[in-house]
Amino acid sequence: MICQEFEARLQAFVDGELDVETMTTAQAHVSSCPECYGRADGERRFRVLLRQQPQEVAPPELRGRLLAVARRERRRATLRLWVGAPALATAAVLLAALLMTRALPPGPSAPRLVDMLVDKHLAYAQIESPAEFTSSEPGQVATWLRDRIGMRVPVPDYSQAGIRLVGARMSEAEEQKLAYLLYEKGHMLMSVFMLPNTAETVTLPGKVVSYRGHEYLTRDRKSLRTVFWRDGQAVFSLVSMLDYDALLECADRLRTERARETRL
Amino acid sequence: MLRWVRGRAPAPEFEEVALVHLDLLYRTALRLTHNRAEAEDLVQETWLRALRHFDQFDPGSNCRAWLVTILRNAFLNKLRREGRERLESEAAGDAGRSAAFEDSAVERSTPEEEFLQTVFHGDVERALKALPETSRQVIMLADLEGFTYREIAQVLSCPIGTVMSRLSRARQLLRKELQALAREHGYSGESR
Repeated sequence: MICQEFEARLQAFVDGELDVETMTTAQAHVSSCPECYGRADGERRFRVLLRQQPQEVAPPELRGRLLAVARRERRRATLRLWVGAPALATAAVLLAALLMTRALPPGPSAPRLVDMLVDKHLAYAQIESPAEFTSSEPGQVATWLRDRIGMRVPVPDYSQAGIRLVGARMSEAEEQKLAYLLYEKGHMLMSVFMLPNTAETVTLPGKVVSYRGHEYLTRDRKSLRTVFWRDGQAVFSLVSMLDYDALLECADRLRTERARETRL
Repeated sequence: MLRWVRGRAPAPEFEEVALVHLDLLYRTALRLTHNRAEAEDLVQETWLRALRHFDQFDPGSNCRAWLVTILRNAFLNKLRREGRERLESEAAGDAGRSAAFEDSAVERSTPEEEFLQTVFHGDVERALKALPETSRQVIMLADLEGFTYREIAQVLSCPIGTVMSRLSRARQLLRKELQALAREHGYSGESR
């Protein structure tokens, strides 16, 4: 390589953008030509100078704003999906909240807890893989949960109604562990939270509804419907955008299954 | 009746993938707009566009080049909306001028870089501001942000050869500007 050839490749040489073969030839030339060595060295120092310039960073508020924009956009995208989809196919069942806690403080915290579960559902619905343990097999999910909370948990099979079991996860609310079951109908989610040993003194806020001989409480919040009930020491709750009929049907089956398991 | 749907909504990984490039995006926007408020708006617009098209992003490909491409396109669209065409007109004259500059590069025999020692903080930003838009962009991507030729070619949607000629020209222009500033600071060495 002669000086003129090297000079034509000087920029790419210093930028490390030459192919291996040319790079080797260029390197050989530089090591034997003081002038070209000087040229390359000058270029390098120039690059270093530029690279050392103080770099602006984005203002922290911008970061926060972008995260909020992303959250809002995700909600809007979700909304667009519902609106565009046929009513039946988009029927969302959110069977939320089989609540489990050892010592739920009585009184005022109860409404907060029920609402918190709705928030949890919304939060999980935004996660791509909300289930910590993924399985469509009720037996497997029940075993996974039992190992974590030390009690038998009913995991109803709603597949005949087109509601597919997705999996489960452990969660907590009010510093108490709770178990969470996740179902899906089409693109719609249905979650179940479980909270055992809820103090008798805890009053649950909601409208009383009777279905197949059992009483349930219902509550609307953030466009979600919640159906919950006390079963012995445990509190169960279903939250959904489905209509109350579907939710109550799911609740009834869960209740039946739990009664059968308790008898066993 | 409102229903909650889980499905093709953008995956949360977008933030993880994109947020690490926020400073780069902000700096790039700042260098394009020369205005902090406009830069923030541009970054936000870029962010939203990227989020909406995140499903088209190939996770194996280059994220920062993808994001900067979106940012640049958003900026160009904004200019068009505002009836300013300075980037385009400049790009059109680019090819002719760069050939002339390459000739002069070959003539250059002894690149003295002593003046670099007298370059003060802030000089580079000042000198960059004096450069034409296209020159500033390639310098910024290559020398300040460390983009490869290929990445720059993606951002500017031009061949790698064009990147090389633009970059070569831009560096000469920048060097000249810096030398002028060095003279202002009292550097008396020979400058060409």
